[in-house]
Amino acid sequence: MSQIRIVRIHNELLGTYGDQGNADVLTFRAKFHGITASIIDISYNDLLPTNGDIYLLGGAEDAAQILSLEALRRDDILQGAIERGAVVLAVCAGFQIIGNSFWANGQEVEGLGLLDVKSVPGKKRFVGDVKSKSTVLGLELTGFENHAGKTILGNNAKPFAKVSIGHGNGDGKYDGAVDGNVFGTYMHGPILARNPEFADLLLTRATGRKYSQISDPLATQYATWRRKVTK
Amino acid sequence: MRLKLAIALSRFAGLLSRKILGKSGETIPGRILLILYPKALVALAKNRNIILVSGTNGKTSTTRALTKIVSTLGKTVSNSTGSNLDRGAATTLMTKSEYAVLEVDELHLIRLIAQTNPKIVLLLNLTRDQLHRMHEVKRVADRWHEAVAGATQTVFVGDVDDPFVNYALSASSNSIRVSFGGRKHSDAAVCPSCGIYLKWNKNNYKCRCGFTNTDADITLEPASAAARNAELANIVGKELGAKVVKINPADLERSFTKSYSGISAKIRLTKNPASWTEALSGVSGDDVILILNARQVDGIDTSWLWDVSFDKLHGKRVVVCGERALDMAYRLHVQGIESAVTTSFKEAIEKFNGSSSVEVLAAYTAFHGLVNA
Repeated sequence: MSQIRIVRIHNELLGTYGDQGNADVLTFRAKFHGITASIIDISYNDLLPTNGDIYLLGGAEDAAQILSLEALRRDDILQGAIERGAVVLAVCAGFQIIGNSFWANGQEVEGLGLLDVKSVPGKKRFVGDVKSKSTVLGLELTGFENHAGKTILGNNAKPFAKVSIGHGNGDGKYDGAVDGNVFGTYMHGPILARNPEFADLLLTRATGRKYSQISDPLATQYATWRRKVTK
Repeated sequence: MRLKLAIALSRFAGLLSRKILGKSGETIPGRILLILYPKALVALAKNRNIILVSGTNGKTSTTRALTKIVSTLGKTVSNSTGSNLDRGAATTLMTKSEYAVLEVDELHLIRLIAQTNPKIVLLLNLTRDQLHRMHEVKRVADRWHEAVAGATQTVFVGDVDDPFVNYALSASSNSIRVSFGGRKHSDAAVCPSCGIYLKWNKNNYKCRCGFTNTDADITLEPASAAARNAELANIVGKELGAKVVKINPADLERSFTKSYSGISAKIRLTKNPASWTEALSGVSGDDVILILNARQVDGIDTSWLWDVSFDKLHGKRVVVCGERALDMAYRLHVQGIESAVTTSFKEAIEKFNGSSSVEVLAAYTAFHGLVNA
């Protein structure tokens, strides 16, 4: 498959922290891999496409997070996509939305239950640089977190990355969660801009191709430099 | 301690900090005054006309313009260099005057309103900025709403095309709601008043709950951010009884022109998605330098770069520098814009040897670095 469809979900709601850049980086990296990627922007009133290859959710403020959830509840397209193996990358509020439950506007809200995690309010807000080592990639990642929630993993989810700087899921040990092709993280940056190898991994998962190294010196220079200066 | 004595001591401390430490002296005296006399702001604001200006973008320049207008009415003091927390206000108010025009940080507005009992507050706009400190735009808007609700004797003037400003103003029964014919807001997909998905019709919004910008008290023609702020300053002036003062919108842009070995550089202040977008729309030449830093006042997270379209720079010669030049270079790269990365502004300027002029968009700390250089 050399064509993929990237679905950017509710960027007008889930676009508070620059995470829309994840779609741009995926499309850009795809070219190097010989893949044609198109971005499909889905807003609150639209129906999700059923044939997306990668679905992206980003960070949001509380009220926007609740509205996005409300829209995604109208059908089970995202669930269907996961069942047929589509890739999901959900960041921050998006990560909480696809979990079992989270807190927004002072209330506990039932999530989509697509990733076995639950999020609860933390005592303080976690803001700052994050450095972690991905359990999936075996690679050091950097990002920026800005959230008040703590996330607890259930039996069906594994931690996405081991944190060495920052708070991640709130315990300072792990960030995010992963289950098959469904990835959740608190890392902004956007995460795929900061860590282009992770974008490559998502592209290989979406296309079923073998992971191959590509050369984009500026991307490497940027990622390497961020890893060095994040202390 | 008596207020007079506290002021004298604080002034002396300010003098020392200027002479010995070489500081500007806008913050230190006020800081010390508030330690010696915690209720100083309340005392100093009594019996004079206080006007506050707040908003994400344009605070400093609009405060300057408004000071010019209010000065036609009587002696006016202002925190003209942008020292916009309670200390800066305290330093400014130490000087006796009939009027005081104060720029106030968005998160400090609630305190300043409570302490100074202002005659008029001007709210310009509220968009994403320094999220590591502000956290969420709605959080700031809620604080504004609370501040406005508590100030029953104050007149509030604001641009209601910005839903967050409109929301804050809705807590007052004494407001002048100004519209410039509507304008898209990239952070307002949710109704700040009732929390449902906000219905936008091109540039205007009208929520099911009745929350809208189409019922403003004054509706003016669409204009640039600088021109809008000039209009708003004059509306405040009029409310105080001043005549309209002609303000050139160009004076309200945070910019200056300086020559570097024969190259004339127009340097603009840029700090967040809204101000970058505004500044990029004003780029007219082919040679551009972008300076990105990420210190506290710049916002320590650069993720927002991905919410700005740099399309305007396609086909131009772009050089980037600053502490986070690589963040910028990679963001541009993904948008198909190649730039040269340099390690200093000096080196960046040298790249344009032979050009007569260059346009510079500089992050907050970089801008101030160049002002003071």
